[in-house]
Amino acid sequence: MSDNKPLDKIIVELKERAKELSCLYDIQELLNRTTSINDEVWKGIIKSIPTGFQFPDICVVKICGFKNNYHSDNFIESKWVLKSDILAQDEIVGHIQVYYLEERPMADEGPFLKEERRLIDNIAERVGLQILHQQLKSIFEEQKKPDQREDWWAVLDMLKHTDPKLLVRLSRKMVNYLCWSGISEADGLLERFSPMVKSDGGKLFSETNKPFDRHSGVDMIELSYEIFEVASNHIDEKKILDSIHRWTKEDKSDFLTEVMENSGSTLAKISSAIERYHHLIPNMLELTESREKSIRVALIRRILTDQPDFINIAKKVIEVDSFSNLLHNIIYPTVSHGQIGGKSSGLFLAKQILSSSKNDNPFFQKIKTPNTWYVTSDGLLNFMTYNNLEEIVEQKYKEIGRVRQEYPYVLQVFKNSSFSPEIVKGLLMALEDFGDVPLVVRSSSLLEDRVGAVFAGKYKSLFIANKGTKEERLLELMDAIAEVYASIFGPDPINYRAQNNLLDYREEMGIMIQEVVGTKVGPYFFPSFAGVAFSRNEYRWSPRILPEDGLIRIVPGLGTRAVDRLSNDYPILLSPGKPGLRVNVTIDELVKYSPKFIDVINLESGTFETIEIDSLLKRYGKEYPALSRVVSVLKENHIQPARPFGINFSKSNFVVNFEGLVKRTSFLKEIKATLEILQNTYDGPVDIEFAHNGKDFYLLQCRSQSYGSHIEPAKIPENIDPDSIVFSANKFISNGTITGITHIIYVDPNEYAKLPNQQSLLNVGIAIGKLNDLLSDTKFILMGPGRWGSRGDIKLGVSITYSEINNTSMLIEIAKQSGDYVPDLSFGTHFFQDLVEADIKYLPLYPDGQNTIFKSEFFNSSNNSLVSLLPEMRDLEKVIKVINLKSENKSFDVYMNAEREFAIGHICDV
Amino acid sequence: MKSNSYNPFEVAQKQFDRAAEMLDLDQATQELLRNPIHEHHFLIPVKLDDGSTKIFKGYRIQHNNARGPIKGGLRFHPQETVDSVRALAMWMTWKTAVADLPLGGGKGGVICDPHNLSDDEQERLCRGWVRQAYASIGPKLDIPAPDIMTKAQHMLWMLDEYEVISGVKSPGAFTGKPVGMGGSLGREEATGYGVVITIREALKELDINPADTIASLQGFGRVSQYAFELYIQMGGKVVCVSSWDYNEQKSYSFKKDEGIDLDELRSITDTFGGIDKQKAADLGYDILDGNAWLEQDVDILIPAAIENQITIDNVDGISSRVKILAEGANGPTTPEASEIIEERNIFLIPDFLASAGGVTCSYFEQVQSNMNYYWEKDEVLSKLDVKMTSAYIAVSDFATENGLKLRDAAYVISIDRVANACHDRGWV
Repeated sequence: MSDNKPLDKIIVELKERAKELSCLYDIQELLNRTTSINDEVWKGIIKSIPTGFQFPDICVVKICGFKNNYHSDNFIESKWVLKSDILAQDEIVGHIQVYYLEERPMADEGPFLKEERRLIDNIAERVGLQILHQQLKSIFEEQKKPDQREDWWAVLDMLKHTDPKLLVRLSRKMVNYLCWSGISEADGLLERFSPMVKSDGGKLFSETNKPFDRHSGVDMIELSYEIFEVASNHIDEKKILDSIHRWTKEDKSDFLTEVMENSGSTLAKISSAIERYHHLIPNMLELTESREKSIRVALIRRILTDQPDFINIAKKVIEVDSFSNLLHNIIYPTVSHGQIGGKSSGLFLAKQILSSSKNDNPFFQKIKTPNTWYVTSDGLLNFMTYNNLEEIVEQKYKEIGRVRQEYPYVLQVFKNSSFSPEIVKGLLMALEDFGDVPLVVRSSSLLEDRVGAVFAGKYKSLFIANKGTKEERLLELMDAIAEVYASIFGPDPINYRAQNNLLDYREEMGIMIQEVVGTKVGPYFFPSFAGVAFSRNEYRWSPRILPEDGLIRIVPGLGTRAVDRLSNDYPILLSPGKPGLRVNVTIDELVKYSPKFIDVINLESGTFETIEIDSLLKRYGKEYPALSRVVSVLKENHIQPARPFGINFSKSNFVVNFEGLVKRTSFLKEIKATLEILQNTYDGPVDIEFAHNGKDFYLLQCRSQSYGSHIEPAKIPENIDPDSIVFSANKFISNGTITGITHIIYVDPNEYAKLPNQQSLLNVGIAIGKLNDLLSDTKFILMGPGRWGSRGDIKLGVSITYSEINNTSMLIEIAKQSGDYVPDLSFGTHFFQDLVEADIKYLPLYPDGQNTIFKSEFFNSSNNSLVSLLPEMRDLEKVIKVINLKSENKSFDVYMNAEREFAIGHICDV
Repeated sequence: MKSNSYNPFEVAQKQFDRAAEMLDLDQATQELLRNPIHEHHFLIPVKLDDGSTKIFKGYRIQHNNARGPIKGGLRFHPQETVDSVRALAMWMTWKTAVADLPLGGGKGGVICDPHNLSDDEQERLCRGWVRQAYASIGPKLDIPAPDIMTKAQHMLWMLDEYEVISGVKSPGAFTGKPVGMGGSLGREEATGYGVVITIREALKELDINPADTIASLQGFGRVSQYAFELYIQMGGKVVCVSSWDYNEQKSYSFKKDEGIDLDELRSITDTFGGIDKQKAADLGYDILDGNAWLEQDVDILIPAAIENQITIDNVDGISSRVKILAEGANGPTTPEASEIIEERNIFLIPDFLASAGGVTCSYFEQVQSNMNYYWEKDEVLSKLDVKMTSAYIAVSDFATENGLKLRDAAYVISIDRVANACHDRGWV
């Protein structure tokens, strides 16, 4: 261990700290219950204090100096004592004394720990504050009596004796107020208060550029009385009293403003200021709206992120006090100025949004977030400095091949390095809090999840089983964090950053340690289902689905399979706004495109695994949480959601399609409402990650919708030469940009319709399949009439299977009008999910539509390379055009922007 | 559409004309059989989930009912042309006739894409279809079955609507229902078993003991697996099976010279008949190219995957040992390849006949539903055996008597049967 303290000792110490904190909370609770400290409160305090001490059984307490003296039942004085004075307005009003009745080993102050000294001082301070509050309150109450006119003078009198500085501050505020209110008498007072104002004919400084002499002769107290005298001539008494009351309370929050506005304040300082604030708010502190807002913004900037867009959203919903709980779960280096990063901030914000809207929809109240701890972004630097790894920062400026080559070495070095003692302590506290539930360690970098930025999923997330002894668990957790840290220097993120001009941006990475949502099934641990939901749907499998209907990618088990594109499996796609419109409708489609694998944590081996759902269900189906929502049973050509009872697990054919969830629960409606409220607050599309353990819905992440580079709306160049445009489209557009296309394979709709027999129609499909293989190393697109891949009437669409088009970058279906009739296109439904997972773009073209361009002469006049590629298909030369743009030093670009409902394809020079 | 472009109905009519000529059918019979006897076209208004109403075009084409009630699929398709449906309806008439079932042929559907409709909307559409077609369908008139993009659920909605209107329980009004809701056992096995029953009869004719034969199959889906099952029960040995590898988007052949253990191979196969290549290699299979199944030194080839698999390009790879090629899939052999196979005196059992097990079982479902008494699987399969055997023998005898290839004989005999029924009824 890096700080040379045995682990157990650290644990014991942490437990002591926890006891002290809980003692402090108890006492604060007691004080919050009432404004005046009565006998019952005193007795409660006497009882609570020993619980915060190391040896509560032999600990007794005495409080004296008040109406009565109070002490523990078995109180006797001894020589082992800790004493603290209770002060109100700098005056000693009483004492708290803590005695041990028996001898105990010597510690920092006799047998007492230095932390126990802090504890008792803290209690004394809080009691003192409460007493002051009590005093002020009784004065104010006196003022309220109608027969005592101008008794608020008494307040000034009292302040004059107890807290003259406060009196001066209040007077200053009053004179400002009077000036703003246009009371001319006040101007003179202000000048005396702040002589630089308006002196010398309104100039701020004298000609000599000499600093002002302070009017030291002014008696500020006397001036204060004068100010209030003037005030009483213009403002009614109640207003003066109210103002004094409000400003006094506001004055108490100055500490918070000071800490927050000072950019040098460490996270530790901020944390204790917030802690203090949290305990003061119930009845002692009141912030003006503007001050509250400024503190809120400062907190967001310091703890969450300094992204202006994020702050703008967050300041509307995040309360100052809500940081209090968050800060308890933040682990940071001693002198930390770090933040918790994008992912963590996004989740925190979403939680606040939902909680502030909980009255709008009962579902919002039920949404949970998993227990989460955070390591601040400067934890990475702390880790690197602690292990002398600073030079690794230079990795990002190396040539990418070298980065790739050196990455395994970086990873090994990171995994063999240790964490600084304060971080280790923090991690131990986190582990203590989590218990032995499986955890996921996620990156929460400052680049990630920025509003409007595209930086999703570049860094690692690691699952850990978190089983074994405390030491084993700690080691496993540290190992995972080190690995996530190392991923920042991985070739893919560095390459991505280089491409997007983000290299010079200083990358810091927060860490999010989150409890994995799930239940134990056999030796495995996983949620019933999980996924990602987008408030804006970029994949429309039916023209009836609107972008605002949203999209869910959902899978059984851990959500990793929904987040990532899969090469050998499919997530289920749902549209929350059109729950009835499913991607897959026939039995074949339902079976083929149902998830076959599930990601789980194997609790026995402690590893993250991908296993077959079928074998999992055959063995442990009975234990699967909420199975009937996830799977259906296929019997011949009939498919029905599994019923909670009576399933023959060894013989049934299971198909994961979430039919039970869609049809028998209000899940989709609830998700839609959630996305809507988040989207409204974000003022733009959002995406969330979620998991469900069969009982509760958990929100795992929320951010401004990151498109991922593959579904970003295209930035359509403005200066495209009109002559170079081959087609444009304005209906059912999805997002995407494909540039550098070297070949276009075009099936001429008119020539296709003329083909005389079925065999020649089939041959078109065969030729496309062959071209798909021949051109597999090039970037090509397919264009042609009607519904590609439909079964049924072959005349209405080229007969191909997915394997015959799987190398294309794009499939363009052309709906050419024939008479009054414009055919429906397939939207790629027959292999929609294959297209999605392989990132093959789909575009429907309506050449006869309004305001669209379709230059058939381009296809007719271009050279056709079909015969040179496929001599045996010479017969189809009129039907299939293979346009090789590369040979003419040209290429083809397609830009599609769903937000503008516009797409364009044009030729460009290479 | 230009007149010289491909029109499936015209193709079907031309095909019919050739057979009619062979059978020397009179003009009236030819005219009757060249066209559907009834065509129902109607509109179905459906309330959509958003409150709007959409009008769908529905239809039922009844080609011929001289031999009995119409049987045929009902499809949901956004762009079916009426001519392709007419062709399919005619095809159903010949299909029921070749299996010698007391049924006619038809086809129907709705112009729609179920991908654009919610389940609730589809249910309303199904019920709407029945309300429009009610007068011309029913267990004694016309029995629709699932087809492209329709499934058991659609049949159940339609049946329910039919029964509500008629006020009578009539499970025999639709087929393709789930077992327990008026469906028949044995449907899984029917097509694959049917293929092997025709092979068994062909072997008898060739005087070959099935136990002395070896076979190679293309595909490992439902048809292929059940063909395999019955074939090894007869004593045969399967040495090679091909299967589509979805991840690699190509097919492979799996070979074991000592004979493939069906249960073993099934245990490493997914729902779609995809065989796990790695596991197969571990179990000692030779993993060969996707075309290798066709080139094996076997007695019997069963293409049971998809259409257009045996073409002019690969037909020459067929071993000289092959005696029978039974088409378990629809149209697996192109016409040119078919000619070469027949020239080589390989016994080609056409899809039309070999895969008639499916429609036969559908007929059995209808019979059982009408009785409201459902047979055990054994009984279904033994009745299937009887039906398929006699269908095969009739076609084979007809071929011998008339000097025809089996493919032509199957087609001609079915037209002959329908024409005779029309004569006997005194229609023509």
